[in-house]
Amino acid sequence: MPSWPEQRTLIGSHAKRIDGPAKVSGAAKYASDVQPDGWLYGMVLRSKWPKAKITNINLEKALKIPGIKAAIMDRPGERTVRYYGEELAAVAGTTKQACLDALRIIDVEAKPLPFVVREQQAKEDSSPRVWDDTPNLSKPRVNEKGEVDKAFADCTAIAEGFYTTPVQLHHPLETHGNTVSWIEGELMAWSSTQGVSSVKDGFAGNLKVPQSQVRVVSEYMGGGFGSKFGQGVEGSLAARLSKEAKAPVKIFLTRFDEALAVGNRPSSFQKIKLGATADGKLQAFELESYGTAGIGSGGVSEGGGGGAEFPAPYIYTVPNIRVRQSGVNINAGSARAFRAPGHPTASFGMESIMDELAVKLNMDPVELRIKNDPSEVRRKEYQLGAERFGWKDKYKKPGTSTGPVKTGVGCAGATWGGGGQGTQAEARINPDGTVEIRCGTQDLGTGTRTLIALIAGDLLGLKPEQIAVRIGDTQYPPSGGSGGSTTAASVSPAIYDVCTKAKAELESKTGVSSGDAEKWSAACKKLGVEPLVVSGKWQQGLSSSGAGGVQFAEVEVDTETGFTRVKKITCVQDGGLIVSKLTCESQVNGGILMGIGYALYEERIMDDLSGVVLNPNFETYKLTGLADAPEIDILLLDMPERGVIGIGEPVTIPTASAVANAVANALGVRVGSLPITPARVLTALTGKSSSSPSA
Amino acid sequence: MKSFQYATAASPVSARELRGENGRYLAGGIDLLGEMKEYIAEPNILVNIKSLPGLNKIERGAQSWSIGTNVTIAELENHAELKSIFPGLQQAAAEVGSQQIRNVATVGGNLAQHSRCWYYRHRDIQCLKKGGDTCYARHGENKYHSLFTGNTCISPVVSNLSIILAALDATVTIQRGEKEVRLTIPELYAKAWDNPTSHHSLEPEDLVMKVEIPVQQRRSAYLQVSEKSAFDWALVSCAASAKADGGKLSQARVVLGAIANVPHQAQAANELLEGKVLDDSLANQVADVILAKAQPLSQNAYKIQIARTLIRRTLAQLKA
Repeated sequence: MPSWPEQRTLIGSHAKRIDGPAKVSGAAKYASDVQPDGWLYGMVLRSKWPKAKITNINLEKALKIPGIKAAIMDRPGERTVRYYGEELAAVAGTTKQACLDALRIIDVEAKPLPFVVREQQAKEDSSPRVWDDTPNLSKPRVNEKGEVDKAFADCTAIAEGFYTTPVQLHHPLETHGNTVSWIEGELMAWSSTQGVSSVKDGFAGNLKVPQSQVRVVSEYMGGGFGSKFGQGVEGSLAARLSKEAKAPVKIFLTRFDEALAVGNRPSSFQKIKLGATADGKLQAFELESYGTAGIGSGGVSEGGGGGAEFPAPYIYTVPNIRVRQSGVNINAGSARAFRAPGHPTASFGMESIMDELAVKLNMDPVELRIKNDPSEVRRKEYQLGAERFGWKDKYKKPGTSTGPVKTGVGCAGATWGGGGQGTQAEARINPDGTVEIRCGTQDLGTGTRTLIALIAGDLLGLKPEQIAVRIGDTQYPPSGGSGGSTTAASVSPAIYDVCTKAKAELESKTGVSSGDAEKWSAACKKLGVEPLVVSGKWQQGLSSSGAGGVQFAEVEVDTETGFTRVKKITCVQDGGLIVSKLTCESQVNGGILMGIGYALYEERIMDDLSGVVLNPNFETYKLTGLADAPEIDILLLDMPERGVIGIGEPVTIPTASAVANAVANALGVRVGSLPITPARVLTALTGKSSSSPSA
Repeated sequence: MKSFQYATAASPVSARELRGENGRYLAGGIDLLGEMKEYIAEPNILVNIKSLPGLNKIERGAQSWSIGTNVTIAELENHAELKSIFPGLQQAAAEVGSQQIRNVATVGGNLAQHSRCWYYRHRDIQCLKKGGDTCYARHGENKYHSLFTGNTCISPVVSNLSIILAALDATVTIQRGEKEVRLTIPELYAKAWDNPTSHHSLEPEDLVMKVEIPVQQRRSAYLQVSEKSAFDWALVSCAASAKADGGKLSQARVVLGAIANVPHQAQAANELLEGKVLDDSLANQVADVILAKAQPLSQNAYKIQIARTLIRRTLAQLKA
């Protein structure tokens, strides 16, 4: 069984991102920067109706606009659209203005149909159906274990609560899009994707092109968070426009479009009951929930995992449980996998009720968690984190903070599977001593390029900058999609394998050992003219799955304005062997900032009367900004014996729960709905109405 | 956006002529270009007024400070003398948008900006303010909307500068046709109170030339509460000014923003402060008077609480 070297120089170091200079200087070309010769702008015409029968679309006028080279329907014939923003047609032209003008001149004949955009309404039988042959509310998925009612009757303390989470939008800074050239049977796509292989598969399948004729490149891309595994409707439209216009076509969505049709995290409405014995042992759990994934959950090409269900009772083991979870269709864009699908949602409900139970038991919330958490790693993380955070000094009984601006603390835990396998890689050792590593993975911003350079550099005895990392191209040896926190665990062993083999082969071929830079150079010279090319692949034993992680939050809430500020987050995260410490910490920072957005700011708002998304921009769909960022304290538990484990997802799971618990601790009243806005804080304090979201 | 012509004006007269029937003046463009991208504004020509002579200066006269229409928010924010004389003005400027926006946005543009109501700003909603027949917000998503209105539109005024300038009794000089017109801040917004399609009292051909703030002994302050720490609109804002002689207030003004379609104030509240020593109880009485006729909707009652807090805290800054 292979194993990582005992002595590690670059692996686990704080080395800088190898592509940092290229990214900050603009030298790095993102998918949206690519401009092949003769390229055309492409744009998508979207439904203005939340539901309608489309009887006719006439593209003739659009084709007469000067500069327009092609105009196509998304699909032929009559059809029903089911949400505002659904794709209807697309145009390609030589200028942006020509496309904008063309979209506005297309005649669409439509018969508007009744629609519903509110979960609470949609689940009623009297509401219009999203799909005519199916009720909006799905049959509940039921999970029952033990004797719940009897167990509750025996409990000393029982907490009950109702918690809601909003629909969250992915909003990667680089919008969804592809530049596609489909000319003379060859399809070349520059895609902003977290899976070049899945996009290749998507184009081939959707457009019936032999896979041998499809190539997808994604050298640099600006974020996906689970929503960019496929080429999307916009990608297929770009390809068809390209074929029609015989020129490359670039369709990158606008920020407005991003809010409509390229995925989201489903909402949740969770009624929870949790009971324990006097010593705090969890005995009984009951959950009834529903939430919406829009018109339906994401399909395979969107990465799946986008349904409205979530794990319950999440990280805890309770002997008696009754869980009933439903999804409810509404006339809005579909969900897609979103950074730890289901988990932040599950965590918010469960960790909220845990703190409510701690109040009933008169028990410290950390103590209650350690008592009930089945994970040894997480129990240790609670202890380490509490000490680092100063929990004992900071924790006061809920609502006992004095003065108008109250402080509070809270905590929460996470779990994630991860793991990953199957990656192949190729090493080319050139006679001049330079090295190229080729691997068909992609860097969705997590630092995959750097991770590869650090492993290769360490194993070959070279500096990271001596390694040319070539990724993001389906012409390289295949790897999987970058999702599920699997990339590091899938890629690292393949790089280990190919570098170990390359080193051995170089020595056997040249007879020169390659221990350090000087020896390396001497060995490579002996190669003569041709490079040494070696293939490698993922090996068992170098990576594994299963991460925990806990976070502690300290907040300040102004009870006279309702404004919440997160002062500090302490994160203790296990992730097996840490390969690239800097980019790993960067993942933690990003996960926490995203979690704060989920806690305090982010919410897709649908309008009941018109059926549109009311906040399709960063003005009113609010994201965590620099001024909102707290002090972030990170402790990474390095566990080299476990091999490489990804942490991109677990680090965002517990943030919102910890923040919400801290707010409840400060106020002595719980805001049971995310995001925790000034309006909700003040409403909860006055107790005048429920803190449920806009109904 | 729709394609348009572009011209640069050398004088107010040429600006007016170039604008024609359907043009718009362009200064920072922060508000206007956003409206054009959403097809809310479709001018056939943009007349660049950034080169108009003399409109980018901050000057002190015998009676008043004069701030040209093209002075940027950043220039206003960073003007050392203004900051010490009118701290409230600096506070209001510093809360506008982001640093990048403040570098480009102008004083005239800030005062003349249009509603940020998300129904008004949505390209596919024809709301009352855009000449439609329904206010979607009234029975819809109204957490950002007004507590007071003189008509059926409930989108609030969001110009930070209008709130503090009202508290400082500033006037705005307008080039209207051949003549110059001076408007008080209440006059500048009066039409928005009565007319659902108006954002202010300016006519399309009106060109804001300058703002004048009387030289005065009053202290000033401005505070706002937003959902985020920076780069966010005020949920409620409050500006106040007063002389504080020996702890007693005089010539006080308290103005609230983002809760009415005009800068909201009550003469009775200002009078209540005259000659009194400020304490929490007095501040609460002032809040009672200013907010007496508030008409909260389904989602914006919380603004009353924030307004009460801001009135108290802003007044307290005058004492400090």
